[in-house]
Amino acid sequence: MTDIAITVNGELRKASVPSETTLLQLLRDNFQLTGAKLGCDVGDCGACTVIVDGAAVNACLMLAVQAEGRDIITIEGLANRQVFHPLQQAFEESGALQCGFCGPGVILSAKALLDENPDPDVYEIRDALAGNLCRCTGYTKMIEAVQNAARILRGEPEISSRMISR
Amino acid sequence: MNERVKLQEADRVEAKTPEDLRRADEDLRLPAIAPREQYPIDVRAPEAREQTNAVGQRATRPDNRLQGLGQLKYIADFSFPGMLFARIKRAGIAAARIVRIDTSAAEAMPGVMAVLTGSEIPVNSFGPSYQDQPVLAQDRVFHAGDGVAAVAAVTEQIAEEAVERIVVEYEPLPAVFDPIEAMRDDAVRVHEDGSNIYTSKTIRKGDIEKGFADSYRIFEETFRTQMVEHVPLEPHAAIADWDANGRVTIWSTLGRITLGRADIARTLKMPMSRIRIAGTIVGGNFGGKNEITQEPVLALLSKKTGRPVKGTYSREEEFLATTTRHPFIMDYKTGVTKEGRILARKIRLVLDGGAYCSWSETTLGKACILSSGPYKVENLLVEAFAVYTNKTMTGAMRGFGAPQVCFAYESQMDDIARALDIDPLEIRLRNAFDEGAISPTGQVLHSVVVKESLAKAAERFGWEARTP
Repeated sequence: MTDIAITVNGELRKASVPSETTLLQLLRDNFQLTGAKLGCDVGDCGACTVIVDGAAVNACLMLAVQAEGRDIITIEGLANRQVFHPLQQAFEESGALQCGFCGPGVILSAKALLDENPDPDVYEIRDALAGNLCRCTGYTKMIEAVQNAARILRGEPEISSRMISR
Repeated sequence: MNERVKLQEADRVEAKTPEDLRRADEDLRLPAIAPREQYPIDVRAPEAREQTNAVGQRATRPDNRLQGLGQLKYIADFSFPGMLFARIKRAGIAAARIVRIDTSAAEAMPGVMAVLTGSEIPVNSFGPSYQDQPVLAQDRVFHAGDGVAAVAAVTEQIAEEAVERIVVEYEPLPAVFDPIEAMRDDAVRVHEDGSNIYTSKTIRKGDIEKGFADSYRIFEETFRTQMVEHVPLEPHAAIADWDANGRVTIWSTLGRITLGRADIARTLKMPMSRIRIAGTIVGGNFGGKNEITQEPVLALLSKKTGRPVKGTYSREEEFLATTTRHPFIMDYKTGVTKEGRILARKIRLVLDGGAYCSWSETTLGKACILSSGPYKVENLLVEAFAVYTNKTMTGAMRGFGAPQVCFAYESQMDDIARALDIDPLEIRLRNAFDEGAISPTGQVLHSVVVKESLAKAAERFGWEARTP
């Protein structure tokens, strides 16, 4: 067993887990943060994406011990009591998700992008979401939602046009 | 010591009225759980008994908000006190006789609560059309993804290790993987009883011999499509809880809970009234979660252990042990006039059914009906066969056979257009159904707008302006 102390959504959390525990297992099984999903367990699908020190990471490929002392943001940490994160708002309003299993991962990948780049073009958004597979939607509305969220974050008025520039 | 006595006295002095008592009680109660976070964005809900408009309103999915917050609960997010985790051992061999299954090493492992093999399943067969699929392979293995034994353990990791310690001795049998080969009389039989062709359908309309005789040209081509896995992002998952009243509750990713319950009742040999299935949020179905998979296994493991048992397929199992889209082999022979009008069409469809029937019957039927396309074909012969092979079973997937035949008839349409030097759009307009057209199986079709749709689409995407 290994003792781990990490910051999850701004709170210091501690656990004692077997060394082979992945970050995803730690979050889901020990901390009951089930927003990050297990889709493939080999880093292909991105359903387990969380933000580690500002970067989008596949939590199924990172050992819990590797996260020691780091700062983790999960989907549960995006909304606070005052507001939704603009990404969550935009995803809801444009109906960007269908079955929703990929959603938390997609939103966190998009957040990592927008934190770095407040005004990404479509190609940059596609690039940022390349590690997140979705079998339902075809990504169009997700990209639209990310663009809308970026506009909200920049303080510009939202555009709810259905067509996006390609 | 003295201080404590003093404090207690002080408490006693303070608690004079019921109100004081209540306050003292509340003061002692620590907030164990933080209050549930209130999300401030108002949810617009109509007043009770208020008539609201639906048409013209912007619609959002009711679960969109929960999805975005990561609060939507899929099976994998459920857990129950004392819950065990199940894993299934996969055969890894396409065709074999099971000589011996030794589970003793697995059973001896600390943390392993139960092991289950096919012989313990009351009725070890299921399927939506034909009950040809074992829940766990018992005497024979029909494809590499067959489950041969299952383990319930306190952690997923122990279950996985225990599965590796189960020893299965096989006597390999000859296998067949090509559906055309499997159709031959001397082919290896996938299932001992009966032919490999397990279902077939024929549609006859008009006189194809006369149609071909009148044709200006005859086009013959074979089209093939591949096997496709649904790959829902959420793997198959279920939790079974067999309670002390002898009733079983199953939470499952099953899309068709009513049909599933009938199948589970059959395999468990118990009345449906004792089985409760809770369908939950499904993380992608696409037809792949339309029938039961591991549910009877989990139910019996729960019965053996007296604890809830959860099973989640690995991504590898999703590919090996769940249904896929049928690969088709499609022979199309089409006779046309000089103007490209179809006079006669002869079609043979061979569906690679894999090891079990699953939804092949339905797929075969729909593929047959749609195999001549949305085109007027007066003289038609369709012969279709679903064939067993020692591969992962094929079943329902979006379209039930329609996409495969569409690939064939539209590809041939392009071939014909090119050979006769006719515009690909024009040849379709010449052959497409009109209002009141009769389908290959005799239905009179209404609200037919194929031509209008094609014309409008061509206009929208600039067909005229194309560079050939």
